[in-house]
Amino acid sequence: MLSSQRNKLLCETGPGTSMGELLRRYWQPIAGVSEFEQQDAKAVRIMGEDLVLYRDREGNYGLVDRHCPHRRADLAYGFTEDRGLRCNYHGWLWDHTGACLHQPFEETRHPEGTFRDKVRIKAYPVVAKAGLLWAYLGPQPAPLLPDWDRFYSRGYKQVVISEIPCNWFQCQENSIDPVHFEWLHSNWSMVLRGQDGPRAPTHTRLGFDEFDYGFVYRRIREDTTENDELWTTGRVCLWPNCLYVGHFEWRVPIDDTSTLSVGWFIDELPGDAPYEQEQIPTWHAPVRDEKTGRWIDTHVMNQDYIAWVGQGEIADRTLEHLGESDRGVIMLRKRMFDEMDAVTAGRDPLGTIRDPARNDRVYLPIVGGLNRPARGDGPQPFVFLAGQPDEVRTEHEQAWQQCAAASAAG
Amino acid sequence: MAGTTAGPAPRPAESYELAEARGYGLTAGDLRRWDPLSAIQIHWARKHGLSPDDARRWAREGVGVRDAVRAVRLRITPEQVRPWAAAGFVPGDAVEAAEAGMTLAEATAWLRAGFILPDAALLVGDGWTLAEATAARYAGVNRYA
Repeated sequence: MLSSQRNKLLCETGPGTSMGELLRRYWQPIAGVSEFEQQDAKAVRIMGEDLVLYRDREGNYGLVDRHCPHRRADLAYGFTEDRGLRCNYHGWLWDHTGACLHQPFEETRHPEGTFRDKVRIKAYPVVAKAGLLWAYLGPQPAPLLPDWDRFYSRGYKQVVISEIPCNWFQCQENSIDPVHFEWLHSNWSMVLRGQDGPRAPTHTRLGFDEFDYGFVYRRIREDTTENDELWTTGRVCLWPNCLYVGHFEWRVPIDDTSTLSVGWFIDELPGDAPYEQEQIPTWHAPVRDEKTGRWIDTHVMNQDYIAWVGQGEIADRTLEHLGESDRGVIMLRKRMFDEMDAVTAGRDPLGTIRDPARNDRVYLPIVGGLNRPARGDGPQPFVFLAGQPDEVRTEHEQAWQQCAAASAAG
Repeated sequence: MAGTTAGPAPRPAESYELAEARGYGLTAGDLRRWDPLSAIQIHWARKHGLSPDDARRWAREGVGVRDAVRAVRLRITPEQVRPWAAAGFVPGDAVEAAEAGMTLAEATAWLRAGFILPDAALLVGDGWTLAEATAARYAGVNRYA
């Protein structure tokens, strides 16, 4: 249980809020690289800021204010040039650093004028990595974008994005809540399939550890022991807004009542012949069944979404009754408060990396190891989110067949 | 590696335990020296100056490395944890209580009222009394009580 003031501290991420300041100390994934095969610019809203993400013809990614500083026109309807994004209203041209490069009529009237040097647009750095576009909305100097070791694993990768109509923090609390898996995913799935039991193995013990990049939660169920990797290695609540269980699930605040779920998934492929994926596809997953109007409940993360949105747009933590299964959640909240204080005090918060020597294929604990063998019975259906496009499924199957053939030949 | 999987070749397969140890900058020798602690616990203990013997001593009391590191910082001894365990708390709760300035009697009262210790400690740290927290907990349940 929390006071409403403390709850607000955790949930509000707009500019100038404590949590907003904390989250702005980290690079956030905000889109897929492949989305810019079909478009040059798109409107995005991140932590309450309305912005436009674009790629110019030189290949620079920019993230600038949604509204042109001239007369506030919508730059999501602007057009890209060799360098920068040009407003469709009067043609002012902005580059990815926030500089104004051209003001057509102003420069016609005053060829020697310097008006363009006196205006700027809000601009944030964007970096492409692992098929994702990452933005940094905080003060300079920015920390390094983490170079997670998992990004280099061999396999078929895909990025899946969805918008969840609730606050980001209730999504992230799920990242350190082991017991929910038994009920929300195992037992409820059986009910949805019309099965009457037997129920999933019960959790008997939980453990939590801390490391440089967050927390690890560990579990023992009635069918496992202390020798099981779910206990010895555990799963990662990756600081500050991600779950890592071999794939990544970031929960990026769009604003205080909606969250961008950004998933980075990898499926192991057979054999060990070199495999290079030309491009990591990005697709957008629906959250609601258009026919029934109800939330989709068929896939693992969709089930999570149902739990999260069910808590309300912003979960009212003044009405909670926390129990033993919530120890991780309480630990997470406490650490969030501590790290907000650290930022207020001018310190770097947990998990920021500034030393390039430390940022080389950074290890994260993973059950099964980094280079897990592929299952022998062919490519597995995508179980995490509903709506995988046929072309992505087909590409995965083709990658599997290509690797299986290379393995058989080799 | 924007948009592609290009990069260094995958490392050869090895035992999960060793791979994990190496991920934390540990060797097989470290694992032996710190047995039975796991790689992540060894990493955290070393980072915070907790010796293998001390980590094992805390573990015998049921206190994991994360809480042991905090306990040492608060100058709590393993022996001080025992009354907490005897009173039905998770041993590491003693550390949580000490951080919040709660006595065993206070923590027991909160527990009897249905607040597990980390929850109670956070509330106490925010200035709540048990009476206030109990009233707030039921405020939305029975408005006419």
